[in-house]
Amino acid sequence: MASIHERDEAVKAAQNIEMVEVEDGYTLTNLPDESITQQFDIDQIPERDVTQEDLTASAKEDPTNWLMYGGGYQQQRYTSADVITPDNVDGLELEYLVQSGVSSSMEGVPIVVSGDPPVMYQTNGPNHMKAINARTGETLWSYTYANPQGLLLCCDANNRGAAVHGDKVYMTTLDSGIVALDRYTGEEEWYASTGDHEIGYSATWAPIVYDGQVITGSAGGEYGVSGFVAALDPESGDEMWKTNTTPAEEWAGDSQEHGAGTVWMTPTLDPDSGKIHAPVGNPGPDFDGTVRPGPNRFTIGTLTLDANDGSINWHYGESPHDVWDYDSSATKIRVNDMEMDGETRDVVLSPGKTAWEYTMDAENGQLLERSEETTQHINMWKMVPHTDEDRRVAFVPGAHGGNDWQPPSYSQETGLMYMNQNNAPHEIFWEEAQYEAGQTYWGGGLNDWPDVDAPEGWNGNLSAIVAVDPSTGERVWRDWISQETTSNYLWGGSITTSTGLMFTGTQNGNIVAYDGENGDRLWQFQLGAPICSSLSSWYDPGEGKQYVAVQVGGSGWLHGGRRGSTVAVFGLSE
Amino acid sequence: MEWYGMSQYVNDGMPEIDQEDRRQFLKVVGLTGAVAAGSEFTLSDLRGEVEGEAAGELAAMGEAIREDLAGELSAGLLGNELAALEGQIERLPELRAMGVPAEDSTEYQQLAEPGLAIHEHLIEVGFFESAEEHLPEFTPEHIGATAREFINTGVLAGALSELGYSEAELTSTVVNVVNNKERLAMWVPTTEIPAGVEGFDPGNIAPLQQRAAAGVLLWTDYLDTYLWQNEVLLTETILDNNYGDLKQMYAGLHLLASAAEDLAGAQELSDAQLTAALSAGAAMMIVGQEDLTNDVMRITDEMRAPSALR
Repeated sequence: MASIHERDEAVKAAQNIEMVEVEDGYTLTNLPDESITQQFDIDQIPERDVTQEDLTASAKEDPTNWLMYGGGYQQQRYTSADVITPDNVDGLELEYLVQSGVSSSMEGVPIVVSGDPPVMYQTNGPNHMKAINARTGETLWSYTYANPQGLLLCCDANNRGAAVHGDKVYMTTLDSGIVALDRYTGEEEWYASTGDHEIGYSATWAPIVYDGQVITGSAGGEYGVSGFVAALDPESGDEMWKTNTTPAEEWAGDSQEHGAGTVWMTPTLDPDSGKIHAPVGNPGPDFDGTVRPGPNRFTIGTLTLDANDGSINWHYGESPHDVWDYDSSATKIRVNDMEMDGETRDVVLSPGKTAWEYTMDAENGQLLERSEETTQHINMWKMVPHTDEDRRVAFVPGAHGGNDWQPPSYSQETGLMYMNQNNAPHEIFWEEAQYEAGQTYWGGGLNDWPDVDAPEGWNGNLSAIVAVDPSTGERVWRDWISQETTSNYLWGGSITTSTGLMFTGTQNGNIVAYDGENGDRLWQFQLGAPICSSLSSWYDPGEGKQYVAVQVGGSGWLHGGRRGSTVAVFGLSE
Repeated sequence: MEWYGMSQYVNDGMPEIDQEDRRQFLKVVGLTGAVAAGSEFTLSDLRGEVEGEAAGELAAMGEAIREDLAGELSAGLLGNELAALEGQIERLPELRAMGVPAEDSTEYQQLAEPGLAIHEHLIEVGFFESAEEHLPEFTPEHIGATAREFINTGVLAGALSELGYSEAELTSTVVNVVNNKERLAMWVPTTEIPAGVEGFDPGNIAPLQQRAAAGVLLWTDYLDTYLWQNEVLLTETILDNNYGDLKQMYAGLHLLASAAEDLAGAQELSDAQLTAALSAGAAMMIVGQEDLTNDVMRITDEMRAPSALR
């Protein structure tokens, strides 16, 4: 593997990039002057364009594909592949490891386009992408985007994955853009900027492509930007619509100009209704609500838009006028025809940092049920203290939740929703903060565990893997991740299979297969570095195997853990 | 330590005042000797007991605002919208009786409409900039002086009484506001933002009194949707508190609006009364909306209605 990296100019360029800490987060230095594509045996890539029908059937109806971040548009992270079962999962074996050669943030989901061979598109920080033979792990092309100087990154050099359509593959870029590549050759087709990176806009999530639109969002909520969801032309990158999440009529004075409400995770989409369910983050500034009175509508919750033109249908807020950074940035799950209280309903499921699961009517955003608590609630929604030490108070969920960005999954088989959540206490203190372009705009400060006093009643667990029945809100099972065995937080999400399994990764390096019904750990494999990513799975009919892929390596804005650069792929034959 | 948390309410939805609250309040208004500490009282009981303004500071502030706004305010618009606002305030018991709004309800939006028109006009004429320029931040001294003026001026409380506020409700509102001086102090006037903050444009943040009013109106405008969407979580206690918090907020908005209307027309309020109306109004709006946030918007498992599905 080392030899290929010596011949890979894209990898070399990415290896040279350094992430350095600055006063208000991070920035990148030693950036390449121009983007670099390194081709290897690209002839292996089958030249069959991905169609809208392929995208609509991805993972759920067609298990040979995992074409987007959430598996399918509804982001259930569910595959109908059924080779791996609770009875044979102990036979799951490591097929191959891909060394990306770039030791950076590893929060992405490898997507897979079926074919002979299937091709994996894999991204990791800082905006490095590869096309990989998904049977062998052989790199077919490699690409590094040339970010400009002056990036402002709150949390890491993250990239969470690619999207495909036609002959192109799309990736958001840390300078708040999208780049489109020819997915057969890795050559750049177009680049479009969606926000000014010099004032704090950024982009880290995987976009989606739907009905002739590349749908993307916005990041930079700690830098006083104003959030949006946007659609671009897949062929040219031209903007088709852009919906602002902080309309002036919902804010006092001109505070909406720095109101944040960013959409920094992949939007969910329901092809049947044409509705987008966007996850929305904190209002800005984070901790001083007095400069932005009122509910700060459209922040922290689910914002539903019409995919045709971006018009807002409804919003459900999980923490109106929030001052605890309780984003609702985890991807939303759309489930149609769910049996609930004797009725069949179309619902949207949302796990937020508030550590409840919200089940909403997909038509209008009415809350149908809020679950039992998914992690502990201690001193929640209490006073934000002043700056003097005596007034600080530790609370759970902390500013990273509950459920931060880590995407949940839903099982068609068990009817349960699975969430990776945090349970660590934080302290927040308030200080006057004024917006300055490109400076963080928190309006206060944050102390992270263990630099806080443990609040009374805290159980000492930093995180938990939780299963909830969204039709009743019952917490069905919960696997606490104890402080002793995990030094860091639980990032990354899970996937489900039609055989009732749930796979996820932990910060102590285990990929785990759970019995989705009861939370029994049926299989696990130690990968040697934290798992901060979300998995994918597909069936390869050419090999008669089901595969499970996961990126390995520390990442994130709090205690990311040891870096890695590996994609691990497991397989099991029929 | 002061904590956010659900307010303690009596059955009518207004803040419950206990002995310690009364003791603290009397201390702030300088009546520790005149009235037995902790004993029951109403604002009327205290009228004539508290000392009036000796130094003329409130009057000077009011005079400066009056000079700034001479000829700027529309008496016709303010008169009409104040009348409409009073009509809406009188509907508050109906809104409580309505319970959870229907999906397409605009009842709370209607409540906000006259206030929005007044708010917009006051922005246009620079009313809030003037108020913020001439009124101090919420120091304990200013809160005490404002409370004394409010108590001694039967006019301000009298107008609210005519709108259905009982003596007990007005007393609990004023005591609640005065005793929340730490929370009020967190609302920093734009003009008090410390120097040395590079690149910041204070124009992006509204003046303090505008933020207070805008918050009331934005919260109100949200309530139709919010209450309908969250019906499964709501209890009668939460709805009672919603009513009580709105009464506090709208007492404050009415003080602001009626002071502006008086300034535009009859000019019956003295300069000190004008200052008291604006400061007390802003304080009631701020404390009321913070109470609403905690009582209605932040629903813990202990507060919520039991699930019907499990």
